[in-house]
Amino acid sequence: MSLLQKILTLFRGTAHEAGQAVVDANALKILDQEIRDAGNELIRSKEELTKVMAQRQLQANRSKDRFAKKAEYETYIAGALRQGNEQLAREVAERLAAVETDLKNDEQAIASYDASITQLKTAITATERKLARVKQQVDTVKATEAVQRAQTAVAARHSGATGKVTTALDSLERIQQRQAERGARLQAAAQLESETGDGDLNAKLANAGLLPESASVDNILERFREKPVQQLSHEPLSLPAVEIKDVEHVERKN
Amino acid sequence: MSRWTTQELLTRLAASFGADNVEEVPTADAAIQITLPEAGDLGVTIALTDREIFVSTPLVEAAQVRDAAGFNEACLRLNPINPLSNLGLTTINDRDVYIVFGEMAPDSTAEQVELEIRTLADNAIDAVEALKSYLVSA
Repeated sequence: MSLLQKILTLFRGTAHEAGQAVVDANALKILDQEIRDAGNELIRSKEELTKVMAQRQLQANRSKDRFAKKAEYETYIAGALRQGNEQLAREVAERLAAVETDLKNDEQAIASYDASITQLKTAITATERKLARVKQQVDTVKATEAVQRAQTAVAARHSGATGKVTTALDSLERIQQRQAERGARLQAAAQLESETGDGDLNAKLANAGLLPESASVDNILERFREKPVQQLSHEPLSLPAVEIKDVEHVERKN
Repeated sequence: MSRWTTQELLTRLAASFGADNVEEVPTADAAIQITLPEAGDLGVTIALTDREIFVSTPLVEAAQVRDAAGFNEACLRLNPINPLSNLGLTTINDRDVYIVFGEMAPDSTAEQVELEIRTLADNAIDAVEALKSYLVSA
């Protein structure tokens, strides 16, 4: 059974009675067991790998000796044949045949060891990856637990005996309430301004062109009638005079 | 390994979110609680471990869900399109609570953690608004 299957099975069994805490606690137990198993498996695989590699080395050494023997026999056979000693050559050739058979067997054995080594290395990589994943999972469960504990502490502090957890739903309601309050405040302020303040009167005065800042056509023409001709001459010197006149103008009105 | 201790992260987050809005929750494994005034005082909780930074906020209590099947399906459909955060179900204070959470690499920068917190809060508010029709109070 896979890790998640085990945890889900546990979840089905306990979720509705005891809640997440039990699942987390048991998940941690399962994960710890998983880590131990994977750790043991890793040790076993590595021991096995060492053994197989040693066996391969021994086999390779034996094979090397046989190659030397083969070369030696080949020299003997050539020598015997040169001397025309067919009998001796045949005798050595028989030995050589046995060595060559052994060499063929060696080759097969070494190939078989190599296959085992590749297989074990793959298994070790897979176990190491699994171990890393399970350790990550333990960390996630622990982080989840830490956050849950903190959230429980915060909830207990805020809600007292009811145990209610403050959620995004409460925040949404708070946001909407604040927006409504702000809207109502702005509306009330605007209303207050127009009722009790000068808003209403000022609007009427502005319409009548009686406020100093109102830009009615009559006001503009009036300004020009008051100005001497020099204002139209575009001489820089005329500017301060205009400003002074404007200030006086406003002051008089006020 | 984490580049942060809880205290270091607490200091950095206090600088970003205001000291009044950031506090250490005194539990066995030291977590950080952030209150976001602009998100209706939503509380976001952060826990650090060697391999991750876990950020979580409560979405809604399961008891407040009127149509659990509809709500669950809507959550599953929202989940893949939710940036930087996931929807889940857990137990807080012995009550089943839906949460919005994110997991970050332990070597995340302060800016990344800050972005995660703000995004998580926005997502939680958006999600609860979108899911309101499945809730009791809707």
